[in-house]
Amino acid sequence: MSPSAVLQNRWVRFAFRRAGRLVVSLWVVVTAAFFMIHLIPGDPVRGALGISAAPEIVAAQREALGLNRPLWDQYRRFISGLFTGDLGNSILKRQPVWETIAVRLPATVSLAVPAFLLALLVAVPLGVAMAVITRNGRARRAELGFVGTSVVLGTIPDFLYGCLFIALFGISLKWLPVAGRRGVSSYILPVVSLAIGAIAILARIVRVEVLAVLNTDYVRTARAKRLPAWQIYLKHAVPNALTATLTLSGMLLATMCVSTVFVENVFAWPGLGQTIVTAITSKDFPVAQAVILVYGAGVIIINTVVDLILALLDPRSAVSEG
Amino acid sequence: MSELKFSHVTVHFGTGRRRITAVDDVSLVVPRGSILGLVGESGSGKSTLARAAVGLAPVHAGSITLDGDPVPTRGSYRPLQMVFQDPTASLDPRLTIGAAIAEVAPRGLTRAGRAAEVARLLELVHLEAGQAAAFPGQLSGGQRQRVALARALAGTPKVIIADEITSSLDVSIQGAILNLVRDLVAEIGLTLLFISHNLAVVRYMASRVAVMQGGHLVEEGPTALVMANPAHPYTRQLLAAVPGADKPKGTP
Amino acid sequence: MTRVQKMLGTPLARTAAVLLGLVAVLAVLAPVIWGRRAETVDMTGILAPPSAAHWAGTDGLGRDLLARVLVATRLTLLLTLEATAIGVVAGFLLGAAPFLLGRVLGRAVTWLIGMAVAFPGILLALFFAVIFGTGAASAALALGLASAPAFARLCQTLVAGVLARDFIAAAQIGGVGRFRILFRHILPNIGAPLAVNATAGAGSILLSFAGLSFLGLGVQPPAYDWGRLMMECLQSVYVYPLASLTPGLAVVLAGLAFNLTGETIAHSLGIVTMSGLRGQSRRARAASRPGSRRAGPTGPASVRTSGASDWPVVPADVELTSQDDGAAALLSVRGLRVTFPTESGWVSPVRGVSFDIAPGEAVGLVGESGSGKSLTALAVAQLIEFPGRVAADAVRFAGAELTDGTSHRHLLGTSLAMVFQDPMTSLNPTRRVGAQLAELGRAHGGLNRRAALARAVDRLEAVRIPEPARRARQYPHEFSGGMRQRAMIGLGVMLNPRLIIADEPTTALDVTVQAQVLDLLASIRRRDGVALWLISHDVSVVAAVCDRTLVMYGGRIVEDLPTARLRTAAHPYTRALVAAVPTMTTDVTAPLATIPGRPPGPGELSGCAFAPRCPLADDRCRAEEPAVVSAGAHRVACWHVAEAVR
Repeated sequence: MSPSAVLQNRWVRFAFRRAGRLVVSLWVVVTAAFFMIHLIPGDPVRGALGISAAPEIVAAQREALGLNRPLWDQYRRFISGLFTGDLGNSILKRQPVWETIAVRLPATVSLAVPAFLLALLVAVPLGVAMAVITRNGRARRAELGFVGTSVVLGTIPDFLYGCLFIALFGISLKWLPVAGRRGVSSYILPVVSLAIGAIAILARIVRVEVLAVLNTDYVRTARAKRLPAWQIYLKHAVPNALTATLTLSGMLLATMCVSTVFVENVFAWPGLGQTIVTAITSKDFPVAQAVILVYGAGVIIINTVVDLILALLDPRSAVSEG
Repeated sequence: MSELKFSHVTVHFGTGRRRITAVDDVSLVVPRGSILGLVGESGSGKSTLARAAVGLAPVHAGSITLDGDPVPTRGSYRPLQMVFQDPTASLDPRLTIGAAIAEVAPRGLTRAGRAAEVARLLELVHLEAGQAAAFPGQLSGGQRQRVALARALAGTPKVIIADEITSSLDVSIQGAILNLVRDLVAEIGLTLLFISHNLAVVRYMASRVAVMQGGHLVEEGPTALVMANPAHPYTRQLLAAVPGADKPKGTP
Repeated sequence: MTRVQKMLGTPLARTAAVLLGLVAVLAVLAPVIWGRRAETVDMTGILAPPSAAHWAGTDGLGRDLLARVLVATRLTLLLTLEATAIGVVAGFLLGAAPFLLGRVLGRAVTWLIGMAVAFPGILLALFFAVIFGTGAASAALALGLASAPAFARLCQTLVAGVLARDFIAAAQIGGVGRFRILFRHILPNIGAPLAVNATAGAGSILLSFAGLSFLGLGVQPPAYDWGRLMMECLQSVYVYPLASLTPGLAVVLAGLAFNLTGETIAHSLGIVTMSGLRGQSRRARAASRPGSRRAGPTGPASVRTSGASDWPVVPADVELTSQDDGAAALLSVRGLRVTFPTESGWVSPVRGVSFDIAPGEAVGLVGESGSGKSLTALAVAQLIEFPGRVAADAVRFAGAELTDGTSHRHLLGTSLAMVFQDPMTSLNPTRRVGAQLAELGRAHGGLNRRAALARAVDRLEAVRIPEPARRARQYPHEFSGGMRQRAMIGLGVMLNPRLIIADEPTTALDVTVQAQVLDLLASIRRRDGVALWLISHDVSVVAAVCDRTLVMYGGRIVEDLPTARLRTAAHPYTRALVAAVPTMTTDVTAPLATIPGRPPGPGELSGCAFAPRCPLADDRCRAEEPAVVSAGAHRVACWHVAEAVR
């Protein structure tokens, strides 16, 4: 067998182990989502329907949600429902939760993914460039300016960017639509609002990682080989810095998917974020439960994919992990 | 004076397929009132054997006894003390050296008695009693290693294990620490297990020497005899590896 | 410098702390001063733009927006602190659990924390918001619990870091009890980082709280915090677009105040933070700074006659020039100095070093840590980086003057090889070993890809690596330490070098492996006629391989002598160094020779660097830098040469 096949094999073995962990993690999330309803203090149905609701209606709703069955039976039904696509019915709208998710999830993903890609595309080159410019304490002013700007930009919350952009580009300048999801132009403001803070944070991390790699012994070895500077940066420094960056960017994508909750509410974007806020304020628990489940599963899947990519890029991580 | 005895000691790490046997059926006696040198390379199990003796590593088979009784690894009196390689790591940066020594001193002393004991121990390792209020960060590496020695002595031990105690010190400091340890052994009648990778240092310090390789004890005997007449091929290999040991120089 | 001065050392830290103090003062006073104004409804002036009466305009009920923002400081801050306290306490309990609960339960808790930190904080907050419902208290609880995993992970890392240190083992061996260890050793060592991280974490919690209130999940009317005010402002965005700016600005400033206070204190105390926001450059500079030795005025020492008649005297800074200008040498260094900037000015760890290495010669450089020996090697190899500075009267290598300002990349790439101390970190972990060798062949040997790889395999074989073709395709982590150092040497002989600089090449290796590596270096030198410059702290290593030894102390070469004469060296330091290290022939009945004191520290250099530790030192030694005297191949910088030899 050729060595590359051995490597592939090692990666495949790692992938299997990682898939096992994925299943366990998913089970934990499903169980947490299930028990979430049961952890709510008081009677969730009474809470949802209000104090004035007739006792018969409350009882009927309890029956419909299956809350009268033994806990184990409810758990079994909940899990089997996941496999058949049955996530229960909304208390408020009385329609299957699954339908709401199917409509809303794509809207959220179509916001998070472009924002994530935009963040990567801007932040990685920016971070690498800043690292090269400011290495070993060179260009102190540029370093100070970059760090200062990125700290401030990274602190400003997404929804504040959203409000500013609406005020500036939507209402004062009337360049771009400020609400809803219609046409490409409607994506610009929400995506940029989501990406800008992430760019600031990620660029700073990339810079720190590249600087750390530039100080390693093996970069000194590369310099001792008298390689041209671009080769040292592109072949030795950046690939090693990117593995650390990739680990973080998985977290970033996961955070972005959930952060849409703010931006969606600012831009009246018909996604999961709006759904869950409405569900929480109106105590529509089946919907809230399903959205939490979708978010949680999404995070776990993203983490798994990132780990698998990482194991391909860095031969050590497949050995050391799991 | 006491005798430290290892009988058929085995230590594993990890479980299942990844189980590693760090120490494999090692029997060894540290004779009372003398220094036994233990040499070996990284991974030979020499440090694990020491850590097992003081309860920092699990003993899976065999026994470690002090004058015939199991070494206590619980309770406040510990007759077996250890000095570590790096004094920077083995002294709490947030504790004055006086407090670090007093912490190990016998319970039931009065405040004044404790202070007197600290002062006595500091003078024993050639530091000034007034330095008790200093923090480790204010001392040099050699001074810190003296404090570590004083702390080990504070527990009124019967046996001390010294694990590579000069390896992290500058060469010009090493000699003074080695002299001090030899003087202490002669003065107080300590029993000492002296662990080192450096054969020349062990030759200088120990009356008997034991050699470990891959978790096994491969040779043990009087230092002069082992050095002059090594029986095991690995011991011969170690001796030959000492720089400058009857080997042609690399001159063309 | 006191701790507080150190913590608030930078202007940024001071600004952040002042800002934080301002927020705290506002939280106390604002409701008292502006409370009434913030509640005054004025239906005649709703949603008014900024004016003299209302600096930030008014809201939908005509209430003064600025007053409301200021008054809201108290509620915002209280809720933030409440949530942070919940998070820190829950986090600490979870994080210390593995230490208190024992192995099995501890592992389960660790696993759960590991799983929980993988989820974004906002998702956890939403999860708890579903359970606890909307409202200020519920939101505080939700955010506190949502931040607990991150704090737990931090505590766990901190506790594990302390537990792994030898002083815990020493305390355990000393019979110190579990709880005493927790309170005397662990807590004091994690207290500061925990407090600092809690401060920085409070900033993120403040921002998240504003988010929850903004969504309508946090503070409910008639109460209001900054997030709630922003939500109300967004509702009137069409009338008065920039209304949300005022509460938004408050949120950002307060969030920054917490974050920056925490981060800057962490930075100045060298504490690990959760966010990794800490700038790298400071750490990098600290790492490249070898000690902190002040550059004293070291002008040329005047020529003096020494006591010994057979030692002609040469001025310190123009050593050797009268006898030998180094023209025949492969490497010829004159007056080499290396200088680094520190906070207290420029320091020179290398202060005027001169020596020659002949073609094919093996020269050792011996010195203790901090003597400047590694920096000398890096400076000769032109590898000192900014902000370090190298100055020299001459550094001539293979006929080229390296200090003439032009790039000698090709010459250095082909003719000068470096072997570094730690083979574990000196090879790039993500590239195959063969490719790392081949790279050099392609860059400077004019080889194509295939030929370079073939040469790499051939070189791996030359350094006695078994199965070189298979090994070339492996990654460094698949090599043992000794194998990696062989690979580094293989890299060195990839082209046909004329000088190999080996900086502590065997320090990280076991004795038997050390012997093999030294043997390999010696045999390569014999076979190819390469000159070898071996740098080590270990006299015996140098003595085993080298013809000539340079002894370095306090940034200067104090003695240059044939290795065979080490035992009869002229400089008191060399003699003491040789005597202090036990060898296989040391008299075991006599005490070892010792050198009192320690190597020179900052600002301790006037006169001879060794004078404070030297038994022969007199006033002249302490005042004047000794001139170099030489006899044949033997050079010494000592005022007492004659006495020392005697």
